[in-house]
Amino acid sequence: MSEALRSLGKLLRRLAGRRGPALGLAFLALVASAATFAGVLPLDPLAQSIADSLKPPSAESWFGTDELGRDILARVVYGARTSLVTACGAVLIAGLIGIPVGLVAGFYGDWRDSLLMRCVDVLLALPNVLFAMTLIAVLGRSQAAALIAVGVAGIPGFARIARAQVMALRQLDFVTAVRSFGGGPGYLMFRTILPNILSPLVVQAIVLASIAILLEAALAFLGVGVPPPTPSWGEMLRTGKSYLYEAPTYAVLPGLVLTLTILSLDTIGRALTALLDHDEAGMPAEAAGGRR
Amino acid sequence: MTAYALRRLAQMLPVLLIASFAIFAMVYAVPGGPVAVIVGENASPEEIAEVSRRLGFDRPMLVQYVDWLGRAATGDFGLSLHSRQPVAHLIGERLPATLQLALCAILIALAIGIPVAVASAVRPRSWLDRVLSGWSALALGVPTFWLGILLILLFAVELRLLPSASRYVPLWAAPLEALRSLALPALTLGVYVSGVLGRFLRASLIGEARADYVRTARAKGVPERRIVGLHIMRNALLPFVTIVGLMMANFIGGAVVTEAVFTYPGLGRLLIQAITTRDYPLIQGCILVILIAYMLINLAVDMLYAWIDPRIEYR
Repeated sequence: MSEALRSLGKLLRRLAGRRGPALGLAFLALVASAATFAGVLPLDPLAQSIADSLKPPSAESWFGTDELGRDILARVVYGARTSLVTACGAVLIAGLIGIPVGLVAGFYGDWRDSLLMRCVDVLLALPNVLFAMTLIAVLGRSQAAALIAVGVAGIPGFARIARAQVMALRQLDFVTAVRSFGGGPGYLMFRTILPNILSPLVVQAIVLASIAILLEAALAFLGVGVPPPTPSWGEMLRTGKSYLYEAPTYAVLPGLVLTLTILSLDTIGRALTALLDHDEAGMPAEAAGGRR
Repeated sequence: MTAYALRRLAQMLPVLLIASFAIFAMVYAVPGGPVAVIVGENASPEEIAEVSRRLGFDRPMLVQYVDWLGRAATGDFGLSLHSRQPVAHLIGERLPATLQLALCAILIALAIGIPVAVASAVRPRSWLDRVLSGWSALALGVPTFWLGILLILLFAVELRLLPSASRYVPLWAAPLEALRSLALPALTLGVYVSGVLGRFLRASLIGEARADYVRTARAKGVPERRIVGLHIMRNALLPFVTIVGLMMANFIGGAVVTEAVFTYPGLGRLLIQAITTRDYPLIQGCILVILIAYMLINLAVDMLYAWIDPRIEYR
């Protein structure tokens, strides 16, 4: 396992050596640290001052103020928290359900495969946004509902990748070896195969994080996401859209941060995919060593 | 071919049954159940009992489902709780608007995506390829609602050329007015899809260029222009049909965000209104119609694909 983590670290170092992904990593680090240490910064996302409403960017408030005179930069920083919590939560939900489903389906490949993958197909019968909206229509509008909706929408991605990877590995010698030593199905799936398919799953986690952040913002933009007054980038775009004439920067700046976050994740995801494809030839050796 | 179509339709039935049951059952998952949805959560027990008896909610759930499905099959989705109009009528009003937007967006996406893909695939890894691939990444990464806002700021607020809120005007009724209203939402969606199409077509063009028949054509001395235009393009466009169809299917309900940016009266916005007003018959009707349209377009795409590529057998 630690071997797998070490090879992941090696991958990260190789990413940092290239311009696009390095910029992406730097921007994400900035957003993540702003979200984590938001409480320490001299920023209050809820303090209202009607006299200062819809001010353009200035030295005191770098991003200007919103319709209630709240500091937009403060709300963007706290909105990063909402985005990152949704992204992490959604990846966790999707991974915890999707990966075991894919492992079991790919490992057995019999009726269990057909049954599980049909269920996954039902999740794919509607576009992401619609699926999430439907779930929220049932669960009611809350932060938890938004998180669950985004997470469940991510299950098929993990399930499909895990399944394809298991099917590629289950006949390899190192799996047969563990089987012949008496390793049961659970041991084979979770202790033998899973550590060796971590890399593509990590890439999928990054792809999903980007989808989750976009989906959370889209739901908030539609008015069915995280309820106010919790700051959310999508919610800010929604309100900012009403003040395009009075304060054009209101909708533009939060949208810029959202877009840069998504582009950073996309760049890193694509660079990782390219690196992994490149390494494909050397994978069995790494796979064999990655077990312990 | 007819047998194939029928078989595919039959395969759709189980998914449709499961999905329709889920859509029907969703009102039972709402706190208070379907009756509370109609009479409100604070109704008295007598009121609830009265409404349940009158509307048949006291019958077994499966009986209600069969009844609901039977009526849905004839296009009767009940009345909207909010506007008291038939759900089917409300959906019928919005469907043409959504289709018109989807069609225009696809045309814009093709007009941008195909030249971009061809130009980058002719010389992979050249500076032009890098620039154009960057464009595709940007088109895919920029959220449609932010792009829409930027376009409104530029074309409506600054230049005052186009309206910031779009109405639905049928193209055949007033083409110019319709295009003015459609321009911004269609461009927003079209740019996003051009990223999908551009990236996909580039990959399949580069893949085809490595095929043996291309080497044979080169060895025979076929001019490069003819090889790219005739041989490679024709083969690379085959899988492309699937992607275009999938995008089209996605737009039926998936354009909801773009429709919201431009307050365009499409099916997606109807669904959003239904969700915010908790109008469950309308929600159920919208989702069922979107789902069926989605599945039918997928089927049509598969059939079209099989028809244009004779190597595919109908099995």
